[in-house]
This record gives sequence, structure tokens and C-alpha cells, in this order.
Amino acid sequence: MIAIALRNLKHRPGGFIATFVSAFLGAALLMAFASLMDTGDSESLTTTATVGGGWCLVIVAFAVTSTLSLSVRQRADQVALLRSAGATGPQLRRMIVGEAAAIAVLASAAAVPVGWVLGRVLLSLLKDTGQVDAGVGYQFGAIALGTGFGVTLLGAVAAAWATARRTAGNAGGKPERPRLRRIGAVLFLLAGANCSILTATVMDGKGVDAMQTAGQAGIWAAIGLALLAPELLRMVTAVVGPVVRALGGVAGELAVTGVHSRSRQLAGAVMPVVLFTGVATGTVYMQGIEDRAAEGQIQPEYAQDIQTLNYVVVGMIALFVAVMLVNTLIAATARRRREFAQHRLAGATRGQLLAMVSLEVVLVAITGVLGGSVAALFTIVPFGSARAGHLWPDASPWQYAVIVTLAVLLTAAATVQTTRRTLRGPATAAIRA
Amino acid sequence: MNDAVRVESLYKTYDNGVTALDGVSAAFASGTFTAVMGPSGSGKSTLLQCAAGLDEPTAGRVFIGGTELTATKDTARTKFRRGRVGFVFQDYNLLPSLTVEQNVLLPLRLAGKRRKDPKAILGRLGLGDRTHELPERLSGGQRQRVAVARALVTEPAVIFADEPTGALDMRSAREVLTLLRAVVHEFGRTVVMVTHDPVAAAHADSVLFLADGRLAGSLARPTAEAVAERLAHLGDLTTRIAA
Repeated sequence: MIAIALRNLKHRPGGFIATFVSAFLGAALLMAFASLMDTGDSESLTTTATVGGGWCLVIVAFAVTSTLSLSVRQRADQVALLRSAGATGPQLRRMIVGEAAAIAVLASAAAVPVGWVLGRVLLSLLKDTGQVDAGVGYQFGAIALGTGFGVTLLGAVAAAWATARRTAGNAGGKPERPRLRRIGAVLFLLAGANCSILTATVMDGKGVDAMQTAGQAGIWAAIGLALLAPELLRMVTAVVGPVVRALGGVAGELAVTGVHSRSRQLAGAVMPVVLFTGVATGTVYMQGIEDRAAEGQIQPEYAQDIQTLNYVVVGMIALFVAVMLVNTLIAATARRRREFAQHRLAGATRGQLLAMVSLEVVLVAITGVLGGSVAALFTIVPFGSARAGHLWPDASPWQYAVIVTLAVLLTAAATVQTTRRTLRGPATAAIRA
Repeated sequence: MNDAVRVESLYKTYDNGVTALDGVSAAFASGTFTAVMGPSGSGKSTLLQCAAGLDEPTAGRVFIGGTELTATKDTARTKFRRGRVGFVFQDYNLLPSLTVEQNVLLPLRLAGKRRKDPKAILGRLGLGDRTHELPERLSGGQRQRVAVARALVTEPAVIFADEPTGALDMRSAREVLTLLRAVVHEFGRTVVMVTHDPVAAAHADSVLFLADGRLAGSLARPTAEAVAERLAHLGDLTTRIAA
């Protein structure tokens, strides 16, 4: 079955691009942060590596698992075909896990030079800010490679194993287990709340160190809410649905009906929006609070530079999540080729389908932005309490507006553009494919 | 009698150089049930899809109820098609997320026409008690009956059926074929059906044979035996030409 796995990779590389991209970028980020630990063990190096790397670790693991399970589910047809040809469950599992491991190794190997460059950039920023001695030489060694390859490979293999159990378990495919997903969501939310409470209590007065727990709080909460995406989507649709229906005509009606019956598939699109909005808002506002709190405490010539360093870290993570957002949406939309074709055969024009998808984007974006905003509060509120002494940050709302606009624009562009591409060519060809 | 569908010297060559249609001209009169038959690769499915406006011929013209379908762009063709043409597929192509009733009404809704009560049609097709079920809960034969109801709902000039019984067991197949006959002789519609099964073809009023993308004769009031014999002959002919 490993032979089939490798043949699949060679024959249909397109189906694996999404997983490859998220594994590649994730491994590069992890390597960059971990290489700081290779470079030395001074406090600033370790802090930057653990704070930045710690945030990345969770996000990368989640990104790799979610894109991978999406791409495996996308191939349910092939799995069914192999099953009917006599492949046993364990054989299929070996194939799916083998593919995932191969992608993870390839992506991590390709990520080495990028991680090396990013790590150098981080080190030079640390040197510029005087946090690390100018004489320290950059090292990219065992910790960088171990973390990069290790996390990517483990995440991919674990996700492949779990997804394969579901898709390849029996001929009909086991139904999704919402209870397991909900329990997971609650656990993540509890972990987030725990970090929030720690930030507001134990870390109060510990200064900049509170960033570590506060940042984690938002990320755990964002993942918890992302796991609840189907439920959130149904709630939002219950409220906004009638408006969409009234304004969108038949396209609106199809969009709303689609949400009810395909909420699990559409939830795949909501997840990255929650994560992007939550992580970006949380980290940017936390940095804003930190900037104001640190005013006057650090030598003024360094204050600006340290801000730069922190925003570079925040920017790298936000960029990663943005790529993951686009990546996931493209994969989730391209997968609907057959469904779109069936609509067209029933008489839907391309314009009507684009209208339907755009209205779905509205529902997805509202749900994602709401979930993400709630997750960001897990970071902002306790950090504000610990660092600035009040819960609500006295920051301007324009950064939030930029993040939300970006989230909506990325969601709309990725989805509508992919739909447009998927609608090319005659519908009969799309049905056969 | 008016022609519901007329095709004039249709040619279709695919990107890979395969010629599926090599100059086919044919007319299908209103209120008739015609089967189109031929060996695999004879171009019968391509003919149906070009005639229905689902695929574009490389050259030639298609008329539905006297209006030319070719020479319009995709969106215009879709709009024309959903009002004048019904289509029944081998694998049903019902939308899994919509109920039976929603599936049947979809072409009307997409066309922005007033909602009509599908109960009469669904009741007539023996699906009166399944209107709120999702397709996945229906048997193959029931799904195909829903597909026929969906094709009927816009009162089209013609219904095309591509191997409508290909995925069904014998009993369900016979039900669907009887239904298609009723569509012609009771509802007064026109049906053009592609099939490779002589028994299915025997339900039609006449059979049109296709080989290598060209017309290869026709048969009125077909029986399964007569059709099978003609098909075997066509197969021999094709093999001889190839050799």
C-alpha cells in the first residue's frame, strides 16, 4: 500500500498541494523559532523561541491536521474504489498515513532554507534591539531540525491516522462523531480559559512574561471555537438566514438550505476565518497594550526596536494563518465541483451559482469573525488586566477593522475565485470527473 | 407534425482528437418516444448532450421547438434549456442537500417562475408520501422517478434521458421505462433516450442507430430481438471497418 501511496503523490500532486503548503510554511516558522535555541541559551533567545514558537506550535499542528483531513475526505471516492477492489481497512490506513508522512517529510525538507533565513532575521532583530550580544553567531542545528520535522511529521501522521479511521474504517464510511468534536472543543476552550485566568492572576505584575499565557489563551480558545464551527454556523444562519433568503432570492434560499444540510463541510471554511481573526486580533491588541505599558520602562532607543521585533513575530504568525485561510478555502471550494455541476444541470446559470456562493461567504464570514472576536477576548481582557490594570484596552478600533476587512476579503476572494475556476467548461465533464 | 428537436450536420471533435459526431442530421417529432442506440463510442451520448445544450458541438445546428439553441452563449443557453429541455441522467444527479420536493421544484425556482404544487406530479409518479425525504433515503428507482418529475416540471418541449435505467435493477428499470412511455402518451411530451439495452429500447416508438459518429439506420415499433440483431450487425460492421 505504501507503493500505491507514493504513486498517488506522483500521479495527482494537485490533491496534496494544500497539505504541502501548510506543512511547508508551518515547518519553516517552527524551524526559525527553534533555531534560536540552537544559537544560544541566553534569556532573550529562549523567551523569543518559547513564546513565538509556542504559539506557532499549536497553530501549525492545527493547520496541518485540518488541511490534511480535508484532503483525505476529498478522496473518499478513491478510497471507496480501493475498498471495492478488495483493500482492507488497515491497508487503506497504511496508504493514507504513508502519503501524509511522505508529504510531511518533503515539506519539512523544503522548509529548511526558509526557516534558516527567517531564523537569521529574528536573530538580527534581537541583536539590533540589544537583547542579544552582537558577537553571537547564528546556529541552525538539531533543535531547529528536530522541531520542524518532528511536529510536522507527528501532526500529519496523527491527523492521517484519525481521518483514515473514519474514511477507511468500513465500506460505508463511519458517520462523523459530533460528540467527540464537541468534547474536544470544550477541552480547548477550558485550556484557553485556564490560560486567561493564569494571565490575570499568577502573571499579574510579571510584566512582559504575561504575553506567553495570554497569547496561548486566545489560540486555544480560537481552536475550541473553530471546532464548534458547525454549531456556530447554524446559529448565525438561524439569525441572518431570513435576511439572506429575502434579499438573495433563489440563490439566497439555496445558500441557506446548503448551510443546514452541509454545515459540516461549510464549517471547514469557517474554521480558518475564526483562527485568523482570533489570532490576529488577539496578538495585535496584546502588543498594543504591551507597547503602552512598556512606555518609559525601557530605554527609549530600544523601545521602538523591540516593538518592531514583536510585530515581526505577530506578522509572521498572522501571515501563516492567512495563507492557511486561503489554502483551506480553495481546497474546500474546489471539492464542490460535482455539486456545482449538478446545480448547473438542473438549470442554474454561472451567475446564480456565484451569487449562491457569495451569500454563503457572507454567512461564513459573519460566523468566523464573531468566533474569532470572542477568542481574541480570551487574550486581550486578561492581558489588559495584568499589564495595564483595566480590562478593556484603550486602543483604537481601526486595527480590528483592518483585520476583519482582511478576513472578509480573503474569504470572499479565495472562495469566489475558486468557484469561478471550478465552473469553467461544460457541466457534463465536471459530473464525469 | 412539428419537430420537437432537429439537429443539422452535427460534428463534435474533442480536444484529444477523438471525433464523436461525424455529421449527424436527425429530427424527433413532437409526442414521440425515440431510443438512440449504438455500440460504445458510437457518439450516442455526445449527440444527446449536444442536442440538449449541455455540450457544444464543434459544428452544426440544434433546434428545439423551432428555436436555434446553438449560437447562444452559456448563460443564455442555460436559461433556454431550463425552460424547454428536461434531462434525466443515469446517476440521477439529484442534489443531495435538497428534499424530493425541493429537487423537483429547483428548475422552476432557478428560472424565477412561480412555485407550483408538485404534489400532482409526485403523486402520479408514486412519490406522494416521500416529498420531504432527502434523496439518500430513496431507492435507485425512486430517485430516477424524482429525476423524471424534475424534468417534467417545467413542461419542456423535450426530455432527454441518458441511460436512465443503467444503474437500476430489472424491476425498477421497467417502472421507469413505463413512466417515460406515460410521459409521452399521457403527458404529451417528447422523449429521446440513449440506451445500450435492447429491452429498454423496445419501450420506445422507434429506434435510431448510430455507429462511429454517423447515423446507421432506424427501426419503427422495435422489439428487443430485432434491436439486438441490428446492434450485433452494427458491431460486426464496425469491427470490419476497423480491420
